Amino acid sequence: MDTELAPRYASFFGLAGIPIAVGMSAWGAAYGTAKAGIAITACAQFRPELTMKSLIPVVMAGIIAIYGLVISVMTVTDLHKPDEENHYTLFQAACHLAAGTACGGASAAAGYAIGVVGDAGVRAYMQQQRMFVGMVLMLIFGEVLGLYGMITGLIILTKAKG
Amino acid sequence: MESNFFKFVMWLNWFIIMLVLFIAFLNLVMGGGEVFDIGAIIESISPNWFASTGIGLCVGLSVLGAAWGIFTVATSILGAGVGAPRITNKMLISVVFCEVVAIYGVIMAIVFSTKLNSGASAEEMDSHAAHFTGHGIFWGGIAVGVCNLLSGVAIGINGSGTAIASAANDTLFVRTLIVQIFSSVIGLFGLIIGLLLANKLPQFGE
Repeated sequence: MDTELAPRYASFFGLAGIPIAVGMSAWGAAYGTAKAGIAITACAQFRPELTMKSLIPVVMAGIIAIYGLVISVMTVTDLHKPDEENHYTLFQAACHLAAGTACGGASAAAGYAIGVVGDAGVRAYMQQQRMFVGMVLMLIFGEVLGLYGMITGLIILTKAKG
Repeated sequence: MESNFFKFVMWLNWFIIMLVLFIAFLNLVMGGGEVFDIGAIIESISPNWFASTGIGLCVGLSVLGAAWGIFTVATSILGAGVGAPRITNKMLISVVFCEVVAIYGVIMAIVFSTKLNSGASAEEMDSHAAHFTGHGIFWGGIAVGVCNLLSGVAIGINGSGTAIASAANDTLFVRTLIVQIFSSVIGLFGLIIGLLLANKLPQFGE
């Protein structure tokens, strides 16, 4: 393959998409888990019977981490060992970096949203049990933001393969 | 408060920026436009540097996350355990969760280090494959390290809450442990990505 389209520095930018996807979605997931977890462990001391239902924000923050994992795994399985004809092209590098950044940025933001909404939601749910449905609806809207990023990343990665 | 030292540092920063811009401008107008070659700068850095830095960051960031988690959890266990000594033996599992995060980093550092090869010649290190491996280990190490760092911090924060909650009410231990399990899964994702990536990277000189 032409070395202009596949220079040796292409993999520096392309493989940067992997830690951006998995690292930034881990950031969102960790923030969401920690922020909601503080509220859950604090409120559980007053209403222990409501603990299991209030674990929902933590579960949804875990799903955020899975979005980043999916994009990273798809990027890594698209890589091939560079042999004489097929080098890692700049096109592949751009696609992998873009997919990783799309998923990572969206998942970090979604994790933040889930964390803050979960924190406030759990504290409200402990005092007024009818707030549960409202809390779950708002968490779902926050979760879907991460899904948008993952869908964009998937679209870009299917272009990268073909 | 604008002290003299602060003013000097600001002036020095501006001086350096202006000097760099002046050199860049001179190059631009004197027909030296090819000097702005980020690709050449990246290509000139040896893949050995990239790989070694990646391995170092992998272990370093993972251990940083584990240490952060351990001190966060331990202070809460020791504080809450004064009033409720029964939690100290049970809460060691949180400390073990944090330790496991550091072990992930060590495992990935060992796996990446099998790609290093002192016997590779200079032409082999200059190939596409060597640069691919170097960049791969660099970014893979950062991915594993950052995931483990965040996981350790989250385990620490949630373990701290678990210690205090289970000191207040013993039935809460198992229910709040679930939050810590979700936190530790984040580090596991980093390990998965690192292992998958290490499979795809050829050894230096192969």
